[in-house]
Formats: sequence, structure tokens, C-alpha cells
Amino acid sequence: MKRKQGFWTKIGVRIPLVLWSLAVLYPILWMILGAFKSNAEIYANPWGLPDSFSFGNFIDAWSNYNIDISVFNSLIVTGLGALLTLVMAIPTAYALERLRFRGNRLLFTLYISAMMIPMVLGWIPLFFLLMQLNLLDNIFGLAIVYAVSQLPFSIFVLTSFMATIPKSLEEAAAIDGMSPYKILWKIITPLSMTGIITVTIMNMIQFWNEYFMALIFLQSENNYTLALAIDYISNETQYTNSWGTLFASLVIAIVPVIILYAIFQRRIVKGMTEGAIKG
Amino acid sequence: MVQSKKQRYLFLAFCLVPTFLMFALFTLYPLVNGLYYSFFQWSGSSSVAEFTGFDNYRKLFNDEIIPATIWHDYFLVITKIIGIMILATFFAVALTQMRIKEAPFYRIVFFFPNIMSVVVIGILWMFIYNPSLGLVNSGLEFLGLGEWTKAWLGNEKWALPSLVLPSVWAGIGLFMLMLMGGISNISKSYYEAAEIDGANGWQQFWKITLPLVWPQIKISILYIIITTLNGSFIIVQVMTKGGPNNATHVMGSYLYEEAFVKYNFGYGATIGVMILVLSLITVLIMQYFMRREKVEY
Repeated sequence: MKRKQGFWTKIGVRIPLVLWSLAVLYPILWMILGAFKSNAEIYANPWGLPDSFSFGNFIDAWSNYNIDISVFNSLIVTGLGALLTLVMAIPTAYALERLRFRGNRLLFTLYISAMMIPMVLGWIPLFFLLMQLNLLDNIFGLAIVYAVSQLPFSIFVLTSFMATIPKSLEEAAAIDGMSPYKILWKIITPLSMTGIITVTIMNMIQFWNEYFMALIFLQSENNYTLALAIDYISNETQYTNSWGTLFASLVIAIVPVIILYAIFQRRIVKGMTEGAIKG
Repeated sequence: MVQSKKQRYLFLAFCLVPTFLMFALFTLYPLVNGLYYSFFQWSGSSSVAEFTGFDNYRKLFNDEIIPATIWHDYFLVITKIIGIMILATFFAVALTQMRIKEAPFYRIVFFFPNIMSVVVIGILWMFIYNPSLGLVNSGLEFLGLGEWTKAWLGNEKWALPSLVLPSVWAGIGLFMLMLMGGISNISKSYYEAAEIDGANGWQQFWKITLPLVWPQIKISILYIIITTLNGSFIIVQVMTKGGPNNATHVMGSYLYEEAFVKYNFGYGATIGVMILVLSLITVLIMQYFMRREKVEY
């Protein structure tokens, strides 16, 4: 006996699904539309369609609120941070996965447990450490801090990818006289490319979006990343009410993420759920 | 080719040492040093750090704002767990078991807020809560509930509950997908057997789905606890900065204010130690309570 799901059950289930889709999409779409509205229009008709599309808000944000500089800073921090993470994580992940040495398990556990520790406590000493190293209020310093902060997650994902590479390839290469450095660079790295790409996309989104460490470790406006610049505009908006400019800067921040999500949706989802399941 | 022992160690060191040094310098050392700082009175200028023993801890226990920040954090933890788990479970079951054609669409849409910046989410929701322009108040007026409208984030009573909705909004997709992963691993034969025994949809949910996805539910709840205790201050900082009148301060935002706005670095570190201890204790307690024999049929 197979019970068919009734027509009404299916409609009943769809109602919350559709409502939640609206709850997610409507504010985002409306933010994008708001970026094309004049301020007067936002006040007159905050939740409707714009009369005409104008790029005035984007120009205002770009040139009068230094968004151009902060986009540049964010790009540097994101790119450099992601690269540094890989440089640090790939050899360590390989050693932890394939090389036998005393303390292997311990080191792996140490890295992984750092994912669960609240880093807030460390930020105060980190502030002074960066000051001593002349890396405070410096986007390169921030890129280093970001890279190290994503190290545990990256090592975790990369080791699990490397575990799927057959050992026979390395053994054959070693017999042919290939040095371990070359094996790592010419065999392991290309074969773990799927994992490397997943990790890199996750890290880039993380660095592009990050706000709090930037708030603590950057001070001058010329070094602001996009998240800080937007927060700054948002605080200004309390007084100037230039909502259009604020929305334009939000759109600038969110468009790269939307593009990455459109291309790499599956990888991002997989990377995030696996990162969370490590428990 | 057999590598010599020395070459082997050299390669091992090449792989491990530089990374570990960076990790030790930028993660381990700051954490340990934070513990050390908590015993000092320090305003940041390096020469005048004064050892004060447990003074900061005494101050912590007598600080009237501290219990409020702890309560606010746990309020967010509890409301987020309830809100996210109920909705995520419902959506996960609906999308895996109801044979809905457009399921991939919902999956893609629901997950998207998970990768949005907290700054963007916070500002978006500040506008949604805006007293004169916002969606919430205009919606209430549209429904004829004009007397319910208020300045949500400026109201001492409503500011904290108002932060729950953006957090649930932003979090649901990830947990829905984690649960969907669990549900799709459940063998169809259990449901078929239950059908034959005449179990209805609810009974199937309580007797089959829920026990078998318990590992995923447990991980989700622990993950919500960890991310909330370690990160709730970000949305607080963006949306309310702890105001109005400390009504939304959580432990992390209070630490930020004490350390980086008022320059009480020693006291800030003490708050940091409290956050660390509380989140470890909470996770351990939850792990104890949610341990449950693995279900096998």
C-alpha cells in the first residue's frame, strides 16, 4: 500500500517554502534596486521599483566615499591572504596526511581544535604583536592574520582531499628518483586541485567579507577594507540619510560574492557543510 | 632511491616548521598571552603594565554589565537554536521527502545569506527595522497594526530580540543542508516498512527521521552554540554597537568596547578568558546532554 501525498499537502508545504524564499530574496533585490534610486525616491517609495535607473549613487560611493581605495585594499587582502593560506597549508596537510612521524596525531588535533576556540581573547595580544612588528594598520599585516586564521580549516579540508590520492603514484615517482619536494609540487598539488580550489574560494569569501579583525587591526581610512568602508558610510548615513550611496556600496560588496556563488555553488556548499561537520 | 634519514627530516621540517611557526606566533602565542594579560592593569602604552593579580577578575564579578552580557549571549544562543532548528528541519524534510520539483531553487536561495558578509546583513536589516522607512513597520501598518510599530533597534526591550531574526535569516541554509545530507542517507526501506505498518507522516518523522538524523542535529546545535558565543558580537557591533543603554551588549562586544574603545586592555583580556571558559563549559555540557545511543534498526 503506497500512500500518495495529497495535492493539498504539497500546496501546504510550498507556502512556507515560498514565503521564506521571498524573505531571503526580497530584501536583497530591493537593496540592489535601491542602489539605483535617488534619495527622494527612496523616501517616497522605499520598497518599490525605481522610476529610472541611475548610476549616481555608485559614482558618489566610488569617488566621494573612497570606495575605490577600499575595493583595492580588499582585493589585495583577499588575494594575498588566500595565497598565503595555501603556501602554509599545502605542505603541512601533505605531511600530516602522508608522512609518518611522532606527534602527527597531536599536531593535527592541535590545528583542528583551534577551529573551536574563540579567538577574541587572542585579538588583544595580537594587536600589540602587530604593533611591534610594524604590521598594525597595514593591509599586509591583516592578510597574514587572515591567512593564519583560516589555516586550521584549510588544513582540515586539504588533508581529507589528499587522503583520496592513491599512494602508488608517489611510490612510483620516488622509485624514478623524484625528490619529495618535486613529488609534493608536481604530483600532490595538481592532484589535490579540487580541494585547493574549494578551500581557496571559501577563504576568499571569508576574507572579502571579514569585518571585526579589520575593525581592530586597521585604523586609517586609506587602509580600510570594503567592510569597514561600508560600516563607515552606514554610520554617516545616520546623519546624512544618503541611503542610495549606502546601498550602492553594499551592492559593490555583494556582487563578487554572488558571481562566485553562481559559478561555484556546489563547491561552496560542500566546503561549508564539511567545514561545519568536523565538530 | 632510498632517502637518507637526514633528507627525510629536512623535508619534514620544510613541510611543518614554517607553517607551525606562523601558527604559533599568530594564534597560540596571542591566546596564551591573553590569559597572562588578564592579570595586569594596562592601558596600552607598553611601559606601565601593572601586575594586579586577580583584581580584574574581582572587577569582572562585581561588574553589573557582565551578567547582562552573558544573558544576552545565551538568549541569542537559545533563540537561534530554536528558530534555526525548527525551520531548518522543516525545510530539510520538505525538500528531501516531498518530491518537490523546484527543490534545487529553494536550496540555492536559502543558502545564499550564509555567504553574505555580516556587515551587509547587518546594514540590510538595520534598514528593514528602520522606524520610518523600514519593511517591518510599513508591513505592520499595512496590516492595520499601526500601534505595534516602534523603533525596533532603539528600544531597550525589543533591540535584542530584533537581532535574532537576521541571525536566523542568515544561518538557516547551512543547517538545512547539513540535515538534508543526513536525511538522504536514511534507507528508503525504513519508510516503506513504516507505511506497511500504517504509520502516518508525523509518526514516521518522530520515529525514523529524527532519531536517524540525530548526529547531524547534534552537530548543528553545537555549531550554533560555538559560532554564536564566538561571533555574535559582530552583528551586535554592526547593528547596535551594544546599545541602547547596553541592552544588546554581548560578551564579545563588551570586550571590544573595554579593550579597543576605552583602552582597558587587561580587563578586556579578562572578559576574553571568561568567553573562552564559558564556551568550553557550554560545549562540554551540551555534548554530555545530547549523547544518545546510536540508533540502529
